[in-house]
Amino acid sequence: MSTQHQKLERNSIGFALAILLVASIGGIVEIAPLFTIENTVEEVEGMRPYTPLELAGRDIYVREGCYACHSQMIRTLRSDVERYGHYSLAAESMYDHPFQWGSKRTGPDLARIGGKYSDAWHVAHLEAPRELVEGSVMPGYAFLSDTRLATGHLPAALKALSRAGVPYTEAQIENAEKDAVWQADFEQNFEGELQESYGAKVQVRDFDGQPGRLTEMDALVAYLQMLGTLAELDTLDPEESSR
Amino acid sequence: MAVREKDPVSGTELTGHEWDGIKEMDSPVPWASRWALWASIAVSVLFWLLYPSFPLVTGYAKGLLGYSTRAEVAAAVDQAEAERAQAFAPFQSEDIAALAADPALEARYGQAIGKLYADNCAACHTAGLTGQAGFPDLTDGHWLWSGSPEEVEYSIRYGINAAHDDTRSAQMLAFGAGGMLDKVQVRQAVEYVLSLSGQAHDAELAVAGRGVFEESCAACHGDDGRGGYENGAPDLGDDRWIYGGSRGDIYRSVYYGRMGVMPAWEGRLSDAEIRMLTLYVLWNGNDAAD
Repeated sequence: MSTQHQKLERNSIGFALAILLVASIGGIVEIAPLFTIENTVEEVEGMRPYTPLELAGRDIYVREGCYACHSQMIRTLRSDVERYGHYSLAAESMYDHPFQWGSKRTGPDLARIGGKYSDAWHVAHLEAPRELVEGSVMPGYAFLSDTRLATGHLPAALKALSRAGVPYTEAQIENAEKDAVWQADFEQNFEGELQESYGAKVQVRDFDGQPGRLTEMDALVAYLQMLGTLAELDTLDPEESSR
Repeated sequence: MAVREKDPVSGTELTGHEWDGIKEMDSPVPWASRWALWASIAVSVLFWLLYPSFPLVTGYAKGLLGYSTRAEVAAAVDQAEAERAQAFAPFQSEDIAALAADPALEARYGQAIGKLYADNCAACHTAGLTGQAGFPDLTDGHWLWSGSPEEVEYSIRYGINAAHDDTRSAQMLAFGAGGMLDKVQVRQAVEYVLSLSGQAHDAELAVAGRGVFEESCAACHGDDGRGGYENGAPDLGDDRWIYGGSRGDIYRSVYYGRMGVMPAWEGRLSDAEIRMLTLYVLWNGNDAAD
């Protein structure tokens, strides 16, 4: 064995520094790329932060553990793209904290589920999956239709996300509760205000088939119907986005 | 450093550590393990250079081979599309009426298109195309927007009340909840609608309901209640119901309104696939055509 190493072993300060040096290599390899992560996120038009109602739906999605059976990550594989649509972009989860890519598909991928089925289908399916899909093993979530959506925490939730880098404006944070109610308004009275604040693709309507009642089902269906619809994939520069 | 003591049997150097007379040999790691370690490091460096590997200050290391998974999947999808265009060659034609008139297609392609139907349409319209509560039966020959190939194709492509600029729009207003009719008028209209389809009804209320119907309902459903293809209003005189034909069901429809949604499939499905599904629906749907 090298006598140099034996000398090092007997110098406790030097040896501690040497350990630190070696261990930090692993750290640098993992951490340093994060400083330039923006470079790996494609530029695509249409991405925006979640509306308060969608965010509430997303929190329900996480709370109920939907990610345990549903991925939101269309991989760069022919089979995935053929079945679910354009592969997922990094940009499409840049406002996700945490992202919902998932690693298991007991049910289908949901990255582009938005618009594939009607609201009525989603509500009926969430309430009683086997009524609509024979042999489904998905649990029922009928209670979502009976549970009023809590909106009191939404301003704080938006604020927390804005601290994590999601570009919510002061006004959006302030109006979070109101915006959540407006988005599920069956008379669509405030569609203009919401679209001005969150862009033209905000879907404003009564999602759960119970006009005048804001339920957790409203929030979850609003979230599902938005998934994968934001990024304008035809604005993607193929050269810039090749990976 | 002094010359170290050696193990007398193997000749290997000892570390100098000793426990109760047992001395530790300073044997190196087996050569095969050492070799494998260095070889794997060499391979990783090689791949690191050849393939996209590491984010840089601007952009990322693209690798010497210029490999891209995204380019690869795009090529694979294009190839699959080309293969399908060949396998389903007739559906490249945009003349849907001519396709619908071709009797040879169903036997040849029906089963394969069934898979496409199962993956995209069966969730609402069921595997047998017979529909379910809130989702129309496609096999009964009763159409909302006509059963002509062009119109069915239009419904699939642009949807009904869907998120597409060219979508069909149709809405049954909430006559009761919206305050256009009071509860008595709703009940009268319901009895009249029951009479239209020959169901048991209260004759007295139905007579009054006729007036309500002509005032509020006939604009879409027609004076005779037979509906029309122009606005997608259902025929109320047949025995087919999307949301149920009982007194309670009809009351709910009149009082709270209905607005069924058929998603727009343009973009999600290719033009050829939309034509295939159009024919699939027609093949299975015109058995009972009226």
